Amino acid sequence: MSRRGEIVADRVWKRFRADRRRMLLRDELQRLGARLRRRGTTGWRWALRDITFGAEPGSSIGLIGANGSGKTTLLKILSQVMYPYAGRVEVDGRVGALIEVRQGIHPDLTGRENVYITGSLLGLRRKEVAQRFDEIVEFAELEDAIDRQVKFYSSGMQMRLGFAVAAFLEPDVLLVDEALAVGDAAFQQKCLERMRAVLASGTTLVFVSHDFAAVEATCSRGIWLRQGVIEGDGPVREVLSSYRRSIEEAAEAAFHVGGVIRLVKAEVVGPRDGPAATDGSLDVRLVVESHEARSARVFLGVSEGPATPIFVLRRDVQLGSGQTEVRCSMASLPLPRGRYYLWVGVFDAPSGGELLDWHPATRFDVTGPDLDQVPLGIARLAPVHVRASWEVG
Amino acid sequence: MTEVTAPLAPPPELRFRRRIGSLGAVRAVWRSRELVRTLAERELRARYKQALLGLAWALITPLALMVVFSLFFNRVARVDTGGVPYPLFSYLGLLPWTFFSTSVSQGGQSLIQNIPLLNKVAFPREVFPMASVAVAGLDSAVALVALGGLFVVYAFIPQPTSAWVPLLLLVQVAFTLGVTLIVSAVVVYLRDLRHALPVLLQIALFATPVAYGIDFIPGSIRTLYVVLNPLAAVIDGYRRTVLLGLGPDWNLLVPATISAFAVLVLGYLLFKRMEAGFADVA
Repeated sequence: MSRRGEIVADRVWKRFRADRRRMLLRDELQRLGARLRRRGTTGWRWALRDITFGAEPGSSIGLIGANGSGKTTLLKILSQVMYPYAGRVEVDGRVGALIEVRQGIHPDLTGRENVYITGSLLGLRRKEVAQRFDEIVEFAELEDAIDRQVKFYSSGMQMRLGFAVAAFLEPDVLLVDEALAVGDAAFQQKCLERMRAVLASGTTLVFVSHDFAAVEATCSRGIWLRQGVIEGDGPVREVLSSYRRSIEEAAEAAFHVGGVIRLVKAEVVGPRDGPAATDGSLDVRLVVESHEARSARVFLGVSEGPATPIFVLRRDVQLGSGQTEVRCSMASLPLPRGRYYLWVGVFDAPSGGELLDWHPATRFDVTGPDLDQVPLGIARLAPVHVRASWEVG
Repeated sequence: MTEVTAPLAPPPELRFRRRIGSLGAVRAVWRSRELVRTLAERELRARYKQALLGLAWALITPLALMVVFSLFFNRVARVDTGGVPYPLFSYLGLLPWTFFSTSVSQGGQSLIQNIPLLNKVAFPREVFPMASVAVAGLDSAVALVALGGLFVVYAFIPQPTSAWVPLLLLVQVAFTLGVTLIVSAVVVYLRDLRHALPVLLQIALFATPVAYGIDFIPGSIRTLYVVLNPLAAVIDGYRRTVLLGLGPDWNLLVPATISAFAVLVLGYLLFKRMEAGFADVA
């Protein structure tokens, strides 16, 4: 017997038509004609291939992967909106899904009417919705706006309403698809807290997001989809780091650096010319080549993934004609153990014009302690190691 | 990067099959009755929030047609109404017709108008066409008021044989719901059909004995005719029972009833079959 909140996906396959067909009679007739003349191709594209996983009630799964890897399709199949081509899916209990911001929201009706409609779509009785109504309004911070037509809501308000309805109507399984990106930072934090509370009450959570910190904060298990196939399944930290590594490698390969000046060498050296270490010194040695002498502004940055840097250093330098070596020394590196990227960019000193693209020049590993884990439901921004001592008593 | 270890296609024995037992289907519909009500309410509210005339719209459509029929059609065609005032005769035909055409035109588009929902929430999809039929039913109830008015104006009293009306109503609803289910599902896949819908309904209006009586149809093909168009037998039944004080013409009503329920059952099965792909194309 299955239990409420349990998810079983057994060898699930899903395919879509490869051609972007419009659902029109005249197009179908054209295709039929083409097929009769044996010229038609009816191609299929596999969106999910042989997906197998199970989730215990109360577990939390972070679903990660590039755009188009099948995450949303999988969520739709789990929410029983879509049917698989092959395989078996069992989701036990009531499913609350926040797959897009305006999930089931009717613009001509008021927020109040929408709450009731979504409630009955989720299979709740009016009385049950009424019991939770005040909580929903309070959480969504809508106050008087609840009796206004939804078409006059801002997109943030619509998202808040959608999330509040999905999260407060006590689903056994909650599916959240990167909807949180619309809310402001404070509300995102509130959503994460709510998801944690929902988890604590025994709801199973499947959370799709590109925000690694949020996934790490909310989920204990990670599933990484790549081109419709499960590429990794395990503790969220491990899956996230192998996923992160793969996108870094892809990003590195894709970088084409142009510009007026050339980076000949970029090197990162730790204490005593060894590897970089937490709280140790760090030397960055660059060699740049320029055709003419000029004044330039050199930027260095360190990032964890291919995205935003953790910190940036800047210096105006005088470049000679030919090669110039630029060194930057940091006394103490505030980063925990992990793999990082060194970013370099050179810009013209007064005008700010680009001389060398801002790009990841090299990567380096830092040895040292792991970062302390954050409490569940809290997202940290970037890894920074702070030397601290504790006293208790 | 592109290498993938999974096989390229699933083994055939894994094919997903959706099983719909007739009992389970009825139960699912019954469980979603509150949803039908909520959706019908939503449709009504959204409609009347904008239309100042509100419920009056439900009266205007059949009344306007009745006036047009009385002024023009009746003059040209000289309809044999069996001694009943023509406005009453045609209005009684327009009531079931308006119910049918509103259901099909609104319900036929109900799925594509709610695509955002089809994409995101799981529930029996037939609630949308069903809600549209429910709303059309409410409109009909409002339009009944005008029928009462016509009875008063023409000092005409409904005959006691009106007791047959519930049976006729059942056939009318079964056929309407069946057609609405089929149209709504097909329109999801062939969306341009929705533009053809008003024209088709217009043609159907004149192919149905609404402005004229069923004796307009040659007797030899009348049975075939009501099998194809059960509404013809229903409308004829209303006129015979309510206006003329006769029982229904069983030679017509029996085949029409069988046909109407066959349309309902087949329509429902077709709908359930197409339902599985709605989210794929929505």
